[in-house]
Amino acid sequence: MVEVVGRTKVRVDGLDKVTGQARFLADLSLGRVAHARVLRSTQAHARIRRLDASQARSLPGVRAVVTGSDCPGRIGHAIGDQYPIARDKVRYWGEPLSVVIASTPEAAEAALRLIDVEYEPLPAILHPRDAVREGAPLIHEKLSDYPRDPRIHVVPDSNICHHYQLRRGDVDSVFAEAFLVVENEYWVPWIAHVQLEPHGAAALWDGDTFTIWSSSQSPFFIRETISILFDISPSRVRVVIPYVGGGFGGKSDVTIEPLLAVAARAVPGARVQLLLTREEMFYGTVVGRGAWGRIKTAVDEAGHLLAEEAELYVGSGGYADYSVWICQGGGHNATGPYHVPSLRLDSFGVYTNTPPTGAYRGYGHPEVHWMVERQMDQIARRLKMDPVALRLKNLLLPGKVNALGQVMQDYNGRADLCLEAVQTALGTKRPPSAPRRARGHGIACFMKSPVMRTNAQSGAVIRFNEDGSATLYTGAVEIGQGSNTVLSQIAAEALSLPMDMIHYAPRVDTDFSPHEWQTVASHTTWAVGNAVRLASADAVRQLKAAAADVLGAPEENLEVSQGRVYPGGQPKRFVSYAELATGYRRPDGSAVNPPIVGRGTFVPQGLTFPDPDTGQGNLAASWTFGCQGADVELDLDTGQIHVLRLVSAQDAGRILNPDAARGQVEGAMIQAMGATLTEKLHFGPDGRIQNWSLTDYRIPASADVPHMEVIFIETEDATGPYGARGLGEHGIVAVPAAIANAVADALGADFFEIPITPHMVMESLEANTSAKMI
Amino acid sequence: MAFHRITLTVNGEIELVDVPSNMTLLQLLRDKLVLTGTKNGCAAGECGACTVILDGEPVNSCMVLAAECDGAQVITVEGLAHDGTLDPVQETIIEQGGVQCGFCTPGILISARALLDRNVDPSDYEIRDALVGNLCRCTGYLRIIDAVREAASRAS
Repeated sequence: MVEVVGRTKVRVDGLDKVTGQARFLADLSLGRVAHARVLRSTQAHARIRRLDASQARSLPGVRAVVTGSDCPGRIGHAIGDQYPIARDKVRYWGEPLSVVIASTPEAAEAALRLIDVEYEPLPAILHPRDAVREGAPLIHEKLSDYPRDPRIHVVPDSNICHHYQLRRGDVDSVFAEAFLVVENEYWVPWIAHVQLEPHGAAALWDGDTFTIWSSSQSPFFIRETISILFDISPSRVRVVIPYVGGGFGGKSDVTIEPLLAVAARAVPGARVQLLLTREEMFYGTVVGRGAWGRIKTAVDEAGHLLAEEAELYVGSGGYADYSVWICQGGGHNATGPYHVPSLRLDSFGVYTNTPPTGAYRGYGHPEVHWMVERQMDQIARRLKMDPVALRLKNLLLPGKVNALGQVMQDYNGRADLCLEAVQTALGTKRPPSAPRRARGHGIACFMKSPVMRTNAQSGAVIRFNEDGSATLYTGAVEIGQGSNTVLSQIAAEALSLPMDMIHYAPRVDTDFSPHEWQTVASHTTWAVGNAVRLASADAVRQLKAAAADVLGAPEENLEVSQGRVYPGGQPKRFVSYAELATGYRRPDGSAVNPPIVGRGTFVPQGLTFPDPDTGQGNLAASWTFGCQGADVELDLDTGQIHVLRLVSAQDAGRILNPDAARGQVEGAMIQAMGATLTEKLHFGPDGRIQNWSLTDYRIPASADVPHMEVIFIETEDATGPYGARGLGEHGIVAVPAAIANAVADALGADFFEIPITPHMVMESLEANTSAKMI
Repeated sequence: MAFHRITLTVNGEIELVDVPSNMTLLQLLRDKLVLTGTKNGCAAGECGACTVILDGEPVNSCMVLAAECDGAQVITVEGLAHDGTLDPVQETIIEQGGVQCGFCTPGILISARALLDRNVDPSDYEIRDALVGNLCRCTGYLRIIDAVREAASRAS
């Protein structure tokens, strides 16, 4: 019986959030706190000659000043290349040099100005292309000495922190004989996440026990990192996460937490708070993307893709952080959603003197889809073929083999149905709305698989209360995606309880919450949802065992519905969950059962490390396929691109909450529209980000938003709860290429980098005009 | 630093406070009165998360000095519901799916309430215009715009 999932349910956190009662990090009452402020590098690449904090330390109100020498070691999940506070060298503008802890914010800010720093400047690298040039300065001289994950392949004495390669077939001979070869270079710049809530944290050392409250997506990841950094048991590290005001990957992994742990270590017993300013949000955590690539594709006359050669360079920033996995994910998905028989793909993570590049919604996928889906339209044009027909010939449908050597199954979803749905929704192109305007339609397909730990764990605990209601605990963080609601729906469905009898414990606390890998990779509904369903089944088993005793009926004949257990066909002969919840008592007072506590755990099965030579293997547990379309109008006098409509279709398995799902896709499409039209971090020659405010870094506002249509194809996933698959990131993946393909359709001009600005459009129009005049 | 003794009405309650000259209305609300529903997203008047109604007009409270608010009437997100009944726009923004992370939500609700107070039947353009100073990174805005339109139609 399916009653709760698949139907729209109002958010369980809605009331808290509309009344101002939802507590975010900065809203917590932690009693007296000391204030931390960070002194940041004003050089992009330099040796630290001297750092003198003696004057700052003697300022009234200053409790401590810490520097790189106070850090017990380096951090870095994939490569241990980073001191939480710089030591010896700075590698990007804005890197922490020192942290002041003071009783008041004003004392902390005054002390920052008293710290004297002397640098020896070094040449800076501000583009991934320059990192691999002959004679490029080395950002990490001792790269090969760092401890690293065995899957990471560094190239010694270079700026390459990871090289992932994929090999299949004889690419050279295919290119030599191909009917058509198309080759282009592409660039996706660095962009900012711009979560509305600035990142913040508060930390406390109490003896050898460490507690941190943080606005993070990754509580258990922080716990692991801190425990390794300070060489203490994870059980001595407690991470508490309140509501998080937007993540998009920028609050995943670790960012400010190790730095604050080092700072708080200097003032034992004091709670130390660090709230980043909006300006610091642009360089004080992680940035997104920064990918430069070259793709060469061979096709036959009929439009079958035959071979692809690609080089992808992900600018990691000064520290490798998570970007090596972005590089890896880009490599896995560098064919886009197509079957390509012969492959030579090389994906490089390269150090640059920019803030660390971290996860950003969909990471790896938007980068390569920008390249592949622009490439597809150019191939279609050269073949004089309809771009939809070209794509339909090559899509990874069930039975086809992807780049990693995995065979697509029936339950992996139908990319072709998504493509057809978008084509239908876009309809026939209408004429422009005014003279001196041009109209265009564009489409782009996508696939997304999570890049995840092969043992990415999830857990759920369900505890019954005296009234028969259930409290659900997981380690998933509510970052706006609606996980509290969807996980509650899964519990309600599986326990056969109404939604208002499910209480979702709204904060994650590593002392109490079940272990969870991270709230990333669109995997919460899928993985944590599986754990919740298993925990519910465990609880129902316990309820039935107790009820069998109470009712004197065989356990296997019992059914549950709406908070009651009864023998099949005899719903009136029931015992309620409330009676069983904390121990049923017989008339003589003796107890039948212990309290009902359901337990469920989940780990994806069969994931392996890639083969080191071919790059192939069972690397991804789930795929989501989709297609996106854009209807745009260009102003030929100003170069302005007006996006009139965005359409998205994806096969996300069964949709558990249609409203929340649609909201995820719409929000992602608008983020992507921002990246396509306006968003880019501008670095000055000194490596400083020049547009570090919300006026100068322009994200879409209410006036910019076009009509949007969201379509779901629901091929149920055999591995997900109630047939669900991940969908949170996917709406961002193909929008840039869809818009650029629409611009190309309107203008006949191709753009190879985003954002596509009015200035670029005007330059292209003028170049066309002068070409015609010649 | 000079202090100013002011009285102001916040969500119907009269408050007497001493504020330093450089304190903003946002700091007064969050730090002194512990009304943390009003959010600090940029402290520069750019994101709209700190929007409150000041004497009938929506303002970025991070851009107003508290000392200037002597005698003022202020409404924050905590003051939108009355006697346990939500404001229509609080109801419709939940129903329409206009809430995700919730950090921009208080400012959005305040801007919407200020619009509906002066315009009972706003057009799509007028709604978008009223919300243009409230940035949201999660929703893509359409559900929020729908929610304001629905709240207007319910009131009429």
